[in-house]
Amino acid sequence: MDSRTFDTASLPGSDNIFRKNFSNGSTLLAYPNPTSPAVYFRGYLPVGSLSDPTGKNGLASLHAAMLSTGTQRHEFRELHTLIESCGASLSISSGHLSTIFSGQCLKEDLPLILGLLLEMLSQPSFPQAHFERLKQQLATIFKIQLQDTEEMASQAFDRLYYRGHPYGDPEIGYAHTVANIKLEDLQTFHTRYLGPDGMVIAFSGGMDSEKAADLFQQIFSAWNPPHQQKQKNLPIWQPHRETLREHISIAEKSQTNVIIGTSAPIAMSEEYHVCSLGDSILGQFGMMGRIGESVREHSGLAYYAASSLESGIGPSCWKVFAGVNPNNLEKAIVKIKEELKRFISEPVTEKELTDVRQQALGRLPISLESNAGIARLLISLQRYNLSLDYLRELPAVLESVSTEDILACAQKYWDLDKLVITSAGKTL
Amino acid sequence: MNNNEKPFFFTLSNGLRIALKQIRTAPIVSAWVWYNVGSRNEIPGKTGLSHWVEHMQFKGTKNFTGKEMEDTISRTGGYSNALTSPDWTAYYQTLPSIALELALRFEADRMVNSLFDSLEVETERTVILSEREGNENDPQFLLSEAVQQASFKQHPYRNEVLGSTEDLLSLTREDLYGHYRNYYQPSNAMLCLAGSFDLDDILTLVRDCFESIGNTEPIRSIPKPENEIASAERVEVQGPDEANYIQIAWRSPRANDPDFFAYTLIESILSGPSSLNMFGSGGIGNRSSRFYRELVESQLAASAYGSLSASIDPGIYSLSIICREDHSPDEVIARVDQVVDQFLNEKTSVEDQAIALKQARANFAYSSDNITNQAFWLGYANNFADYSWFTDYVARLEQVTAEDILRVARRYLDPAHRVTGVYRNREAANG
Repeated sequence: MDSRTFDTASLPGSDNIFRKNFSNGSTLLAYPNPTSPAVYFRGYLPVGSLSDPTGKNGLASLHAAMLSTGTQRHEFRELHTLIESCGASLSISSGHLSTIFSGQCLKEDLPLILGLLLEMLSQPSFPQAHFERLKQQLATIFKIQLQDTEEMASQAFDRLYYRGHPYGDPEIGYAHTVANIKLEDLQTFHTRYLGPDGMVIAFSGGMDSEKAADLFQQIFSAWNPPHQQKQKNLPIWQPHRETLREHISIAEKSQTNVIIGTSAPIAMSEEYHVCSLGDSILGQFGMMGRIGESVREHSGLAYYAASSLESGIGPSCWKVFAGVNPNNLEKAIVKIKEELKRFISEPVTEKELTDVRQQALGRLPISLESNAGIARLLISLQRYNLSLDYLRELPAVLESVSTEDILACAQKYWDLDKLVITSAGKTL
Repeated sequence: MNNNEKPFFFTLSNGLRIALKQIRTAPIVSAWVWYNVGSRNEIPGKTGLSHWVEHMQFKGTKNFTGKEMEDTISRTGGYSNALTSPDWTAYYQTLPSIALELALRFEADRMVNSLFDSLEVETERTVILSEREGNENDPQFLLSEAVQQASFKQHPYRNEVLGSTEDLLSLTREDLYGHYRNYYQPSNAMLCLAGSFDLDDILTLVRDCFESIGNTEPIRSIPKPENEIASAERVEVQGPDEANYIQIAWRSPRANDPDFFAYTLIESILSGPSSLNMFGSGGIGNRSSRFYRELVESQLAASAYGSLSASIDPGIYSLSIICREDHSPDEVIARVDQVVDQFLNEKTSVEDQAIALKQARANFAYSSDNITNQAFWLGYANNFADYSWFTDYVARLEQVTAEDILRVARRYLDPAHRVTGVYRNREAANG
């Protein structure tokens, strides 16, 4: 059944997405939005907390933050006055695998902002005073996190679920590991890993794609550090073999956060698309799917209760999560498990599948209504090595999924004897 | 507003105001219905009514169950939600243009036919209490609530939109339904559509959906504005969190007061510009702002940001700070005093004013970045002024002089008329 409400040819594809590879190893993608007076860009360099030295977790994240504290040409105040004076934004952060940057400006300011981005990435000055300041700020953030039930439940989940794998550690590290990091460590990290090889940048907005590419080349072609090293490969992850449960006690909190999770397929694989439709039925569609219907709508146990299928390079997870009154924690877990049992015991209905398929198809043009949405799409195409016609091909992929496919995937990934369950809040 | 048609405004015979703006860049449309009711219209003992009514609007009507409405919008790939503020309540859907009729029929239906089933009311009571409990986990919410209450002695802006726990436990189905039937009237609402549609077709559809709804003028609870904070006041909140937080609130003028535009530039210079972008990519940083420089860059605080909202009655401009552990809240507050004192004693430079203006122009451009934002702006400004407030925004800022900035700053940022709130760790506070 063709349930599309739009012409797939109107979606971005190989005939209107611009992609160019440069000799220094970087790649640019662009999609014009001529009505926009602004330009949004987003990109990454292929190094993140995976390259943190032992005992210095958080180094890549602190390094990314330090890139915004001054360059060899502009000290902190001057740099940010230049960016903010033209109403632009420019930020750099770090994930497990990447150093991520994004920015937005009026189109006439793009040359200035790209020039500053290059300075920040290639010629940071790593000022000692800002290093100390950021470490102090992190010390405060760690203390705040200890009282944050959502954050603590999430960290406990990652720690249990990814036991021994780098994804089990938060990107920003821990108070004791950040304390071990020295300024020289950041400089060494920068010299070793930062460079254009593997860099990806995507533009969307009121600029001509080829002109954006020319501008990028003009500004970034001179960046050729002699010894840029590649990040090590992601280690193999071993799934857990039994149900693991942990509760983090945090006094005087009126809400408890709970996460129940299992393993997930490789992002953007055939199974991923099947699970994605299944996830929508489980905890997304309408008012948070079956989970929301049971936990919130029928039982009134939570303000939110939903599911999420995560995607990324390497291992990922499929989660159900909720925020509940501490007295309702066990009741909510029981309700969620009941829905999971139903999910793996019987096929979803044809109506449910039709609903979520139509939703997934209808969402395609809507997800592209902003420059940021388009740039995120372009980055995904490159990161997951997808065809430029991915969006146009996706409807046929979704339309081929059956209720049996979803049941098979549900049974493969949701083993109710091998769940990871974490919660944080009032003492149990 | 590049490449977009000018909006078209008209009023139906029942008083419902309509705003239409054609944007042909994508086959989607964003539909908003705004009601001129929020926590500002609530009386003591009945706080949280407007927000709870908003929740009940997703629970079904005589013609559709709540699930049918939610599922039907979801099926299109669109998204829908609602927002309750002190001044207004808004419902919106962004969805493929082809599905617009569905959204309009739902909105017309729940303008008049919502059921407020007693069992659903009780289920939603626990959901909203849970929403409030989630907020209470955050020390900054607790501090903000205390500062709000101290900033207004009588005016309902002192109340959290969610309502107090006490009131949430005692409100009845009759309270909710009465509030709904009083305020959800065509003449108290505005329908705004932005996106790809045919104007003639949409006019016919809008009339068909909404014009037959009868209208009764609401009986309004209109509070008396509090034009100033009577005196300097300090509030302390204690709890288990180890970090110290500060929130300082000064009075701000109502949004359609000419002084509001000078205040907008003051905010931009002191704490960075507030984003005009409700949805989509974010705003401009604040690292070049005075408070950031003097509090964060100088290593007294971990973060500092300001907030100024457009409101019907005089509201507050607030500065929120997370203290570093090696500096006491009093040290930080003393530095805030120095920054404000200096600002009140010198004229803003031409350069600083030009920067604030450029930031406003950029924010204005970002605000038209997507269709949902454009539909938002069609209606938002009508809550406190009219659409020209938005379209003339940059021009009004350009008219502000350095003398205006100094005059407005001296009037509103007086340290003798502000509320200072501090959240401390209980054990540390008690020695």
